[in-house]
Amino acid sequence: MATLLQPEKVLYLVRGEKKIRVPLSQLYFCRYCSELRSLECVSHEVDSHFCPSCLENMPSAEAKLKKNRCANCFDCPCCMHTLSTRATNIPAPLPDDPTKTTMKKAYYLACGFCRWTSRDVGMADKSVASGGWQEPENPHTQRINKLIEYYQQLAQREKLERDRKKLARRRPFMPQAFSQHTIHVVEKYGLGTRLQRQRSGAPISALYGLSLKEGEDQKEITIEPAQALDEVEPLPEDYYTRPVNLPEVTTLRQRLLQPDFQPAGASQLHPRHKHLLMKRSLRCRKCEHNLSKPEFNPTSIKFKIQLVAVSYIPEVRIMSIPNLRHMKESQVLLTLTNPVENITHVSLYTCEEEDPDDINSTAKVLVPSKELVLAGKDAAAEYDELAEPQGFQDDPDVVTFRKSNKIGFFIKVIPQREEGDVTVAFKLRHDFRNLAAPIRNTEEVEATSEAIWLTHHVELSLGPLAT
Amino acid sequence: MLPTLYLSDCKGSVKIAMGAVVCVESDIRGDVTIGARTVVHPKARIIAEAGPIVIGDGNLIEEQALIINSYPENMLPDAEDVEPKTMNIGINNVFEVGCVSQALKIGDNNVIESKAEVGRNVILTSGCIVGACCAVNTCEVIPENTVIYGSECLRRVQTERPQPQTLQLDFLMKILPNYHHLKKTVKASSTPARS
Repeated sequence: MATLLQPEKVLYLVRGEKKIRVPLSQLYFCRYCSELRSLECVSHEVDSHFCPSCLENMPSAEAKLKKNRCANCFDCPCCMHTLSTRATNIPAPLPDDPTKTTMKKAYYLACGFCRWTSRDVGMADKSVASGGWQEPENPHTQRINKLIEYYQQLAQREKLERDRKKLARRRPFMPQAFSQHTIHVVEKYGLGTRLQRQRSGAPISALYGLSLKEGEDQKEITIEPAQALDEVEPLPEDYYTRPVNLPEVTTLRQRLLQPDFQPAGASQLHPRHKHLLMKRSLRCRKCEHNLSKPEFNPTSIKFKIQLVAVSYIPEVRIMSIPNLRHMKESQVLLTLTNPVENITHVSLYTCEEEDPDDINSTAKVLVPSKELVLAGKDAAAEYDELAEPQGFQDDPDVVTFRKSNKIGFFIKVIPQREEGDVTVAFKLRHDFRNLAAPIRNTEEVEATSEAIWLTHHVELSLGPLAT
Repeated sequence: MLPTLYLSDCKGSVKIAMGAVVCVESDIRGDVTIGARTVVHPKARIIAEAGPIVIGDGNLIEEQALIINSYPENMLPDAEDVEPKTMNIGINNVFEVGCVSQALKIGDNNVIESKAEVGRNVILTSGCIVGACCAVNTCEVIPENTVIYGSECLRRVQTERPQPQTLQLDFLMKILPNYHHLKKTVKASSTPARS
């Protein structure tokens, strides 16, 4: 039974820039546009950075300075687990009296999963519990920094020229105030954050750009071109004959996690600071409203705004599948759940011939022709033992059971192909009351909220034919 | 897979050295010798059916660990004359909760972590760590200081052997007698007595 509740069996079609078929639990619903949105047709914005092990919050500017890594936590270079600090007692001479020894605490890093310790790579034990661990210096840092500065300056110049051209074309008017809905865009070569509209190409106030950076523009940075060397260090003589010491060779994954050094030997694998994770908020691309906005606190899993599809759209789930045989009609039991608090009317339609959305179905389906009525979700109903019968007249051939906001109903499936999985598709039409619509003028005080009818394309995968 | 037990040939003689702490609730069958300062937790099982088991000093055998000297899988006990092979376990080993060890020869300072399985043809030398839920049933000698970890049983060599759990052993030897009855220690020559 648990496998039938798997949400991947029921897919809803999202008509965005691309047509995507995704389970309802992974979709969002923009109640201003009244459309389903998937992760691919929303814009993602970074809210905040935090470390997954110490849960420390970090503002984005600071995160960028530290290259998106936590200052306190380390990753095991061998198995990428989080390293923990352990202490041992070592005898150390007292500073006053060199002959007597006292126990001092020495700290080292150890991995609980693969038992790697910092002593394996030769890192000495530190006397402070945290903050004593240094990452090894990259010998090419200076050259890389100089190159980055030079290219940043180049990019800056290109952008100024582009802005000047645009300014010359545009009619001069007040510089636009920065609107609320702007997105951080990391520019070419990571110059810095500029607030810019993502796709529409509306120019920012060019005056702002010119005035700030003029002071820095004056410094010209030149770089030396890289020198090509004629002679390369020769390989050692026994390179091809020396037997490989397998435990010493690093795996590709271990090597590439440290792109600065890419050590070939396990004895040079130094631990790295842990990568920060980020919380992101999602925004509908058409109406620029937020669809999902998490709380700022890393320890909190709640959302300030959470417009997920499961709380607005009735959800279809497969309850039981009988043995499906080629060209024989069988009845599949489905459930429909109403997530909103008012009564919802749902009707199902089969897809017409030559429906452009209907590409995957391998069986004919006959859906109930009558409209199904779903009661509203009543949060207190589960505690109310004397639940009154709901008084809906249900056709017993169609509706098998009814339980608060859920009904079970039959559809008839006729598999058309002899082999392969059986997939059916149909259209689900329901009424949706938009409670979030902006408050209208006082003339229409009585209009509670109009119901609009939404149609979704639903696909069910019912598994293989019975043998 | 745990082998089925044929108890017809087990001769009960458990020899427990002085200083060992063996709880009554542990299940020890067959010819088993347990060294000094070894702690056997309740519900640990040490079963010597195809030969004797000799356990050294300072070992820590936790709950639901199974150390078994069993017949190879496809042999019945009475079918052929099988020489009983002795299973030797060295000193300062740790058998964590729920592990299964059938290895015939285990050296010193090894750690078999929780729910790990070690097959009969494996020989653990010294300082080896078999990670949690890793099943090692190859036919080989594991070199010293090897760590086997991960769902794919990756291996690596560590530079130092795991420390003997002296603190833990001392603590257990003080605390366990407060809460459990212990099996009586027996000199090697006399008959066993259950407490």
